[in-house]
Amino acid sequence: MAPSGARRFGFLLPWALFLGLLLLPLGDPSANTVRLLFTTAVWIVSGIGWNLVGGLTGQVSFGFAVFYGLGAYVTALMINAGRSPYFAFLGGIAIAVLASFLVGMPTFRLRGPYFAIATIGVGEATRVIMNNLDITGGASGYRVVEKRAFNQIEHYYCAIVLMAIALVVSSLIVRSKFGLALRAIKQDEDAAAALGVNPFLSKLWIHAVGAALTGVAGGLYARYHAFIYPGDVFAFQTSIYILLIPVIGGIGTVWGPVLGGIIFGVVEEELVVKFPNFHLLLYGSILILIVLLEPDGLLGLLHRLRRLFRRKRDDSGGTEPDQVLWGRSRLEGREL
Amino acid sequence: MVSSSLHIRRWILSVLLIASFGIVTASAQNSIVVGVVMPTTGREAKPGLYQKEGIELAIKQINAKGGITVKGKKLQVKEVFYDDGSDSAKSASLCERVMSSDKATAVLGGYSTALGEAESVMPDRYKIPWITPGAAATSIFSRGYKYTFGALSPILLLGETTAEFLGSMVDQGKLKKGLKIALVVENTDHGADYVNGIQGWISKHPGYFTVVLNEKFELGGTDFSGLLQKVKTAHADIFLSDAHLQDYITMQRQYLQAGLHHQVVSYGARGPESDARKALGAGTDYILAALWWSDKLPYPQAKKFVDEYKAEYGRPPDSWYAAIAYDAMRILAQAIEAAGSTDGTAIRNALAKAQLKNSLVPGQVLKFGSNGQTDYPFLVTQNKPGDKVDIVYPKDAATGSPIVPRP
Amino acid sequence: MTASDYLDLIIKSLLLAGIYAAMAVGMTVIYGVMKIVNLAHAGFLMLGAYFAYEVFNRFHLDPILGAVLALPAFFLFGVAIHWLLVRWLPHSSTPTLSSLLLTFGLWLVLQNVAYKWYGNEDYSISTPRTFSSIQFGQISVATVSLIVFAAAVVSLIVLQIIFNWSWFGRSMRSLIQNPYAAQIVGVDDQKTARLTFGLGTAFAGFAGALLAMLYSFNPDFGRPFLLRSFVIIVLGGLESVSGVAVGALVLALVETFSVQVLPASYQQAIAFALLVVVLVVMPKGIAGLWQRKLKVS
Repeated sequence: MAPSGARRFGFLLPWALFLGLLLLPLGDPSANTVRLLFTTAVWIVSGIGWNLVGGLTGQVSFGFAVFYGLGAYVTALMINAGRSPYFAFLGGIAIAVLASFLVGMPTFRLRGPYFAIATIGVGEATRVIMNNLDITGGASGYRVVEKRAFNQIEHYYCAIVLMAIALVVSSLIVRSKFGLALRAIKQDEDAAAALGVNPFLSKLWIHAVGAALTGVAGGLYARYHAFIYPGDVFAFQTSIYILLIPVIGGIGTVWGPVLGGIIFGVVEEELVVKFPNFHLLLYGSILILIVLLEPDGLLGLLHRLRRLFRRKRDDSGGTEPDQVLWGRSRLEGREL
Repeated sequence: MVSSSLHIRRWILSVLLIASFGIVTASAQNSIVVGVVMPTTGREAKPGLYQKEGIELAIKQINAKGGITVKGKKLQVKEVFYDDGSDSAKSASLCERVMSSDKATAVLGGYSTALGEAESVMPDRYKIPWITPGAAATSIFSRGYKYTFGALSPILLLGETTAEFLGSMVDQGKLKKGLKIALVVENTDHGADYVNGIQGWISKHPGYFTVVLNEKFELGGTDFSGLLQKVKTAHADIFLSDAHLQDYITMQRQYLQAGLHHQVVSYGARGPESDARKALGAGTDYILAALWWSDKLPYPQAKKFVDEYKAEYGRPPDSWYAAIAYDAMRILAQAIEAAGSTDGTAIRNALAKAQLKNSLVPGQVLKFGSNGQTDYPFLVTQNKPGDKVDIVYPKDAATGSPIVPRP
Repeated sequence: MTASDYLDLIIKSLLLAGIYAAMAVGMTVIYGVMKIVNLAHAGFLMLGAYFAYEVFNRFHLDPILGAVLALPAFFLFGVAIHWLLVRWLPHSSTPTLSSLLLTFGLWLVLQNVAYKWYGNEDYSISTPRTFSSIQFGQISVATVSLIVFAAAVVSLIVLQIIFNWSWFGRSMRSLIQNPYAAQIVGVDDQKTARLTFGLGTAFAGFAGALLAMLYSFNPDFGRPFLLRSFVIIVLGGLESVSGVAVGALVLALVETFSVQVLPASYQQAIAFALLVVVLVVMPKGIAGLWQRKLKVS
């Protein structure tokens, strides 16, 4: 009875959380709390987008800010042109997907770190170009002027619903045959090709999905903050955050980005207020520790703790192989 | 074995935990909360710190006199300060936080255009007045916002004043007519306004100058060598730049290293800052700057401010940063008293009509225009050898004569 | 532009190429021998700059001496980092995701420790020599540029000697060419890796100290140079120091001349654009082009 009860709890917990988040506005929360949750949700969605490409398929991109920023700018432009914000979000998705093909087609021919460094180049080049584009205000930034009054709860619901959609998409892909193909590509691209997977096309498709999610996250951000500029949405730092969220939380998992996003949205805010400049130091150290000790991130840590408890409980002596050994983690292609 | 009722309790607990996130914070009404969002770390750390000091000096003096009178009660001013680290996304979030979470009555913030632009979205959204003593780009004030106020005169006027001063040098025969200008400005609204100011004046006074180079550079670059190479090949007579403190220091160093020389060198609103003097020594001599305030102004309230600032912080005020922030806080206090309430809209209306009579600014009156931005006249200063600074324009405020062209 | 302006640009490119080469060589050896893309290279460059600053400020030593001192200091630092962190990474004949993330984390830590210690403001080293320049007819060259160029060239020659005529250099070259064969032949890959990491770090610190004489710096100083280093590696290949020199020269020429025709604000994008173009068009770099040519003939 115990294992299935616990498993049922684990299965229904996300739904309970989601229900809680939906009902939150009834409790008259402070505007600050809603803002924090909104920011967290937006980060989580970007993280999920990156995770599909970097975590599941092993294509580490340091340039996801390109899609974040494009989604932000396209949404901003469309809202200012009078379109409905939801239509503008779709526009952001469309352009982000288009950009993902433009970026992916030349760069996915490169392997490993060549691809990663090329994405740094693409990211920075995009930022510099946007800095000089006068139509979008260049480096001075672009302001979003919405005719409707600002309704914070509406933004909040957009973000929560989007986060739920992203999680659903992510877990569907992970459990599908496509997801299997992607994981094969991550472990050994040539072997996967020999087995009938088309690595190049698969990478392009998952890149598009990741870009779409990150793009719409950028769109939500733009609509909420009402002022965006290239040094913010196209910054290398933004790409880094989008990368850090899933890696710290648990690369390649569905819920890893959620954990990472919570840390980013909530903890970072409190850290930034009390200790400015400390948070990047913390993330850098955590990253080193994760790579060396627990490549599956926080989620891996939690799993380990849970296994510790279970072992203590029924004393059956876990048969899972020890994951301290190198190369046996999701970072190198193994499954949790 | 875990019972099903325990499961149900777990679920209810989780749902409630999440839903109970919304806790309404009660606000205390025996002090007036003034939010201050300034960079004290990051690229703009020094000017941000000076502005924070100016504001805090004003608050200290107001509280020492008993505070601000609202509805017959004297309320002390409580400052809630956040450092935005010169990052505009953080600046906007912290401004929003101080308005929504800390329930600020008003906010002073936004040193530098980028931070100011980001923050300026929040005042109208939360109906809380916001005064910036550090952002002067006109675009902030041209959007029809009702709750934004700026204590700095527009950059457009800064550019015009600089050009006007140079024109007066031509009239006095110190400069020849038809000299060539190289314009090198930062890629922001600040820089764009500066260029418009200069070029606006030039087109209204044909024959005085021609612009042979008009380039923009990215904020925070460490290498301006390519740009300065272009300046070299443009063979201009006058070098006008618009930059923030760090870029001013970096560019001037590389300017000297490249062996460049022009008859006039100016960096917009930067010049006499002590950091630049320390870093470059005699390399900053004869640089002109168009400023919003100088400690050399002959007003008695200016001298009083300089003495009080020195007594409080152990050093004289550096350039204009602290003085403008000081007056911004004073006019805010005056407006709150005039409004007689801590309601944002009432204070906003009071600010729109407010006039700070013994202000430190040139002209001695601080008031806001219809778009929220003020427009008192600029001063032009010149760095003289031996760490001296002189006001050289306008004539009636001058403490020394301009040395033009540079030796 | 006049002829002397062109000459001016070419001289500037040459001087720039010298420092670029010294800057890239540190990343090159580490990448070649250990197949690790060392993103912390940017952090080491930045620390080298601050090292020179501290040496100059506290002991009043000429920054050139500071740069020379940086070599042994950073060598030890690099060996320590390798022993502490890098040696735990999985071995592979191709660069791994873990190495990328580890060095990136290290870079973040180095950068933010510097932020804590020094703040965000720009620092710089100003000696009486800083503002002097030497005239060659119509062209004036900053004295420091010449000194830095000379130092860079000397260091590259020394490295070339090590590479070609020492046991260590031979071990490095063999690991670059074929790590498995090298191990069969008896090369101690762990020891060589550790020394290589130390050497790469030493050159990064040295180059950083030299760069501090030319530019002002803050903790984010290394990032544009990181990209440039990678472009140079890709352009010049991994086999030799002269490859790095060629790559550095190409990059310096492209940068210096394109800035004249493009708006100045695009300056930062040039290296990036070149990188993307080169990676896509010739993934094996210019050296690869040579190899292909040789094979055909």
